[in-house]
Amino acid sequence: MEGHAGFMASVLKGDVKSAKLEIKEGIRLIEGILIGRHYKDVPIIVQRICGICPVVHNLTAIKALEKAMGVKISQETKDLRKLLEWGQIIHSHALHLFFLSLADLLDIDNDLKVVEKYPEETKMAIKIREFGMEIVKVIGGRVIHPLTNEVGGFKKVPTKDEIKKLIEQGNEALETAEKLGAFFAQFKFPDFERETEYVCLNSGDDYAIYEGDVASNKGLHIPVEKFENNFHELQKPNEVIKRVEVKNRNVYMVGAIARVNNNSKWLTPKAELYLESLNYSLPDYNPFHNVIYQMVEVIHSIEKSLITLGLLENMNLSGAITKDYKVKEGIGVAAVEAPRGTLYYHIDLDHNGYVKNANIITPTAQSLSHLEMDIALYLNDIMDLPEEKRTQKLRGFIRAYDPCISCAVH
Amino acid sequence: MENKNQNEDPKEEKVSIASEPIKAEAKPKIAIVALTSCEGCQFALLDLGEKFLELVEKVEMIDWGMIEDEEDPGVDLDIAIVEGTPITEENVETLKKLRKRSKLLVVLGNCAAMGGIPEIKNYHEGKNTIKHVYRYIQGIENTEIKEVDNFVKVDFVFPGCPITAEEFLKYFPDLLEGRIPDRTDQPVCVECKAKGNRCLLLDNKPCFGPMIQGGCDAVCPTSKMMCQGCRGLRPKGNVKAMRATLKKMMTDEEFENVTEIFGLRDDISERESKM
Repeated sequence: MEGHAGFMASVLKGDVKSAKLEIKEGIRLIEGILIGRHYKDVPIIVQRICGICPVVHNLTAIKALEKAMGVKISQETKDLRKLLEWGQIIHSHALHLFFLSLADLLDIDNDLKVVEKYPEETKMAIKIREFGMEIVKVIGGRVIHPLTNEVGGFKKVPTKDEIKKLIEQGNEALETAEKLGAFFAQFKFPDFERETEYVCLNSGDDYAIYEGDVASNKGLHIPVEKFENNFHELQKPNEVIKRVEVKNRNVYMVGAIARVNNNSKWLTPKAELYLESLNYSLPDYNPFHNVIYQMVEVIHSIEKSLITLGLLENMNLSGAITKDYKVKEGIGVAAVEAPRGTLYYHIDLDHNGYVKNANIITPTAQSLSHLEMDIALYLNDIMDLPEEKRTQKLRGFIRAYDPCISCAVH
Repeated sequence: MENKNQNEDPKEEKVSIASEPIKAEAKPKIAIVALTSCEGCQFALLDLGEKFLELVEKVEMIDWGMIEDEEDPGVDLDIAIVEGTPITEENVETLKKLRKRSKLLVVLGNCAAMGGIPEIKNYHEGKNTIKHVYRYIQGIENTEIKEVDNFVKVDFVFPGCPITAEEFLKYFPDLLEGRIPDRTDQPVCVECKAKGNRCLLLDNKPCFGPMIQGGCDAVCPTSKMMCQGCRGLRPKGNVKAMRATLKKMMTDEEFENVTEIFGLRDDISERESKM
């Protein structure tokens, strides 16, 4: 699990009503330190909220800044950014699926033991992950805390040769992902269900990750700019994580399971085939399946990357290089689909481009209350197990959610 | 020995089998521990893929919270690897306990070595920064940011935000043998030139490369991003000359601002006060 989260002792003793995650992360006060800083520092600082999904923090901040100042970007820039996102989703999901979640499916308490037991599958997972990382490295200049993306475009663009090599690597990764997908399909996930609201971006014509409105399976459909009017961000005393809940509604869920439930009709052919092969019926309200839907998204993201790379192979990418723009006063709100769900940035700039106000709402802050509600229910199912076993099951359940505490407490 | 075993009851034999992992015990005992951080430096290690797994085989991993749930048995360590900034009391306690049980304590990355981005608050509103973020501030630990070496002795630093994983592979074998590696005092510029990059300074674009410790393969300037000094001042880094060069490219205020991002500002002040 990314970041530090523990359990309240009461949960372990089986006090279901107060099922609550204890977040032990120290506070870095990222929004606070942004105030008064020049906008150019913002994407550099915020991507350091998370070492696993820096791409999406960097990108969402850049999009919010562009909206605040009215900066237009080229189609090539947009394509390269989407590639960065797919790369990010591929390598983040591959890590979580294989190196963090598989141990739970197998009831093993150490991921290194999984590596020993499944050497072939480990190699497959690494190969897939490396494709995602290579996309980010080639386009972003570095995997962790990428360098090239900035307000208005890119400092540097990949060469045609680099794009060609990515395509070769992607073709192999796609084959490998189908094989690893078949491996994951054989696992039986625990039975657990709770009907819920799934929230993610919806662009009306694609499996949205870079842009779109905020939509749910329960009739919510609002522009990203209206997010803060419709969702409550609240801090409870003594808590370092701020939870997000929908106004007048209930807790809700984000991430791979939400996206596949809401937007499955826009999956790529191979991802769709894989989804069909699983024989799950949608809507699917079993949060354990979040793990397998990450596998669906890995296949989808590799196919999507290959399509875009194919287009870029024959294009002159110099159009993505940043052009001059004017620094302006304004408020910018933006959202993208991070691996773990919708990530929102709200940035308020003064006329010299210094930050007046900033708000960052992460996927885990949105799904935490949902997770706790599920834990309270799930505890009933596992109450009779011995304490050690119960703890292991609970850890597995929490991990299926793939929370990122570094993101949630920033 | 063999004869003696034969004469004893099977229980005794079991004991000798149980102590067989002497082989495994001969491997150096390692723990990788994160304080408050983005965990990117640990991911930089994991991202080495098979190369990292090969390295893991050479050690006995006693604790690595990111990928295992097993309780840390609390045994003595050959090397403790620490990532992040000590922000909570629990962080500080973890750090001190680690130091006590480890022969060597090495740190990973800019947060542990230089304070990282959380240190930005020290240069501005300090503890009051919290007011922009939280409504209920009572009971939330909100300290001044201090680097790891303010709390415990640090034997070696893998600098950078994030660390350069290849550099970890280069120096870690020395540490496994109990030796503190020698680091050459070399600016970022050496690797930058070797890569055939055009110097940003020549185009009147700011870059901290000349005063900053190399070893990062000049990853930032290679992407046309200025070096912002995440790896820290090199021992002979000439701050005065750097400031003079940058005068025509950025104001003093801009210079100070950039040095704040990776906790370099306090180190520069310290260096300048000694000049």
